[in-house]
Amino acid sequence: MIERVSLTVRLTAFYVLASTLLLLGMAAFISSAIQQHFAELDRETLNDKIQLVRGIVDNAASLEDLRSRLNDALQSHPGLYVRIEGADGHVLYDTAAFQFPPALLQQPPTAVGQHTSAWHDGQASYQGVVATLAAGAVLKQDARMVAAVDTAHHAHFMADLRHSLWLYVLAGAASSGLLGWWATRAGLTPLRRMKAKAQLVTAHKLDQRMDVEAIPVELADLATSLNEMLQRLQNDFERLSDFSSDLAHELRTPLNNLLTQTEVVLSRSRDLTTYRDTLASNGEELQRLARMVSDMLLLAKAEHGLLHVPTLADIDLAHEVKALFDFYEALAEEHEVRLLLQGAAHVKGDSLMLRRAISNLLSNALRYAPQGTDIVVRLDPLPGAGARISVANRGAPIPQDMLPRLFDRFFRADKARAHHDSDGAGLGLSITQAIAQAHGGTVCARSQDGHNVFVIELPLCHPAATAAMGSKPAPKTVHG
Amino acid sequence: MAVNILIVEDESKTGDYLRLGLREAGFAVDLVSNGVDGLHHALAGHHDLLILDVMLPGLNGWQVLQQLRAQGSAIPVLFLTARDQVEDRVKGLELGADDYLVKPFSFAELLARLRTILRRGRVEVEATSMKVANLELDLLRRRVTRDGKRIDLTAKEFGLLELLMRRQGEVLPRSLIASQVWDMNFDSDTNVIDVAVRRLRGKIDDGFEPKLIQTVRGMGYVLEVPGERCD
Repeated sequence: MIERVSLTVRLTAFYVLASTLLLLGMAAFISSAIQQHFAELDRETLNDKIQLVRGIVDNAASLEDLRSRLNDALQSHPGLYVRIEGADGHVLYDTAAFQFPPALLQQPPTAVGQHTSAWHDGQASYQGVVATLAAGAVLKQDARMVAAVDTAHHAHFMADLRHSLWLYVLAGAASSGLLGWWATRAGLTPLRRMKAKAQLVTAHKLDQRMDVEAIPVELADLATSLNEMLQRLQNDFERLSDFSSDLAHELRTPLNNLLTQTEVVLSRSRDLTTYRDTLASNGEELQRLARMVSDMLLLAKAEHGLLHVPTLADIDLAHEVKALFDFYEALAEEHEVRLLLQGAAHVKGDSLMLRRAISNLLSNALRYAPQGTDIVVRLDPLPGAGARISVANRGAPIPQDMLPRLFDRFFRADKARAHHDSDGAGLGLSITQAIAQAHGGTVCARSQDGHNVFVIELPLCHPAATAAMGSKPAPKTVHG
Repeated sequence: MAVNILIVEDESKTGDYLRLGLREAGFAVDLVSNGVDGLHHALAGHHDLLILDVMLPGLNGWQVLQQLRAQGSAIPVLFLTARDQVEDRVKGLELGADDYLVKPFSFAELLARLRTILRRGRVEVEATSMKVANLELDLLRRRVTRDGKRIDLTAKEFGLLELLMRRQGEVLPRSLIASQVWDMNFDSDTNVIDVAVRRLRGKIDDGFEPKLIQTVRGMGYVLEVPGERCD
């Protein structure tokens, strides 16, 4: 719950709290310092008054004289109250109509400058002290003197001061809140800019990127991650659109054939054989379409990293290749091509998928190998329980720039060549690549000295390759 | 005694043509178009095989199968579906289906698989030899003779001929041939099977009468004496 509070509110609250605490601290300090100063002043005043009274006592001729002199003195010192008690406790002098607090009266005398007491009496406030009057001409024994000064003016001042300080603290807190809020908003502007940028991104406009240079350091990582995410989305989207449009295009031609054929045949009455042949031909074309759809589904799964190897069995590749040679025996014989196997290797994978992958390479080789030549399948174990399968045939060289594109969907090397019915849709090599990648491997092609070689390597030990599985096309490297 | 097949399929075109094709292939066929009726009819026990579409209104194919098996019915089931997930395949087989066909499938494929299922459980007398017209196959000695003349075949050619003869009169789709003879269970993008059959023909049909290996365009191959097909 706390997490959901807006950053601006959060930061502003902190500012207000911090500045309020600081202001309060300062106010308390000022208040206490002035308070102490006043106490000092009062103490000094009291000491002066004690000296004054002592002076009067020394100069008095008699108790009467003392009393009248004290009265005179006190008249010119408003706010000063004095009481003198004899050693036996009876009151020798007392300022009229002034009540000393009992606690103060009980107190023992203190040395000069020490221990004043403060008290309130309703609205008024006083500081008082108890001192000794030494015995002298008038006072036969040591007497006690209790003196008090009115500190009302100080009290008023303090009250006013405190009032002002509170007001200022509140005003300070409020304005720091406002300033803080404004500052936070200004500080968070880069986030708002990022948000604005993000809102521009739609499926059709995936090329927006955060400008990492114009963003504060703390947000730079976030911006970079967002950019990478957008890049991945853009790649996937483009591939998806490519995929859909590829499929649509490739379906158009056979569908067109079917449509035209059917309409033409239906356009007039024909004999049974013609109808039969048309239906049979349509049936074949439809089967080819069904295969294409199946293949595309497999490729679509691979694109999204959903092509999983269902079982990881130990595959004896030599056994698989021999089985494939049996399969292609008749076709090879017809083309007058020899199928040769060299080496042996084992690998962990799915037998059906691997067979299909190698089968596509073989059928490709058979298509292009000239009569009387050999197709050589070489198996080599690779470190880390991997294997290399290479299918080599002699034939017309493949241009270097075309080599990476061979594994593109629907790629046909020779666009001009008549599209034989026996040719596939052009998905065979893509499927081989998808299967290799699903096994954590790669496939690549090279063409040199009149030999064309397709090489599957499984699995690849690079963690990068495994990460690339299904989300990026295989690195189309050409071995030199 | 005709074999009774129940088709549960909500797509009317598919259902109607399947019924027509299977009837013409010699089966007695009933067609229903939703899961509840399908379950009801299947439980009545009059059928030898159930062709079940997965996507059905009301009770779907999975549920029909589950309930069938839960109620003790052991009727063989062939699933039809447009979905191609491995999980669906596994799920279907685990629930007690006997086979699984992904749409679009070829009718010849359906027929062939149907017959394979029906053949199961029947005690097959292991024949030691097979004979069609003047073609003889000695399974023990792996030898082929026609008109008394010995013909040399490779192991796979023998396997192909054996398959065609065993399923004599049945039109075998290429995918089935690839699967049974070579254990290649994917659709090849070449005419490999055609070439293999052509080569076999060259050895056992060329120069002999009658021509036993027939091509049924759009469907597959069949071995039989010509004229014996109901056309």
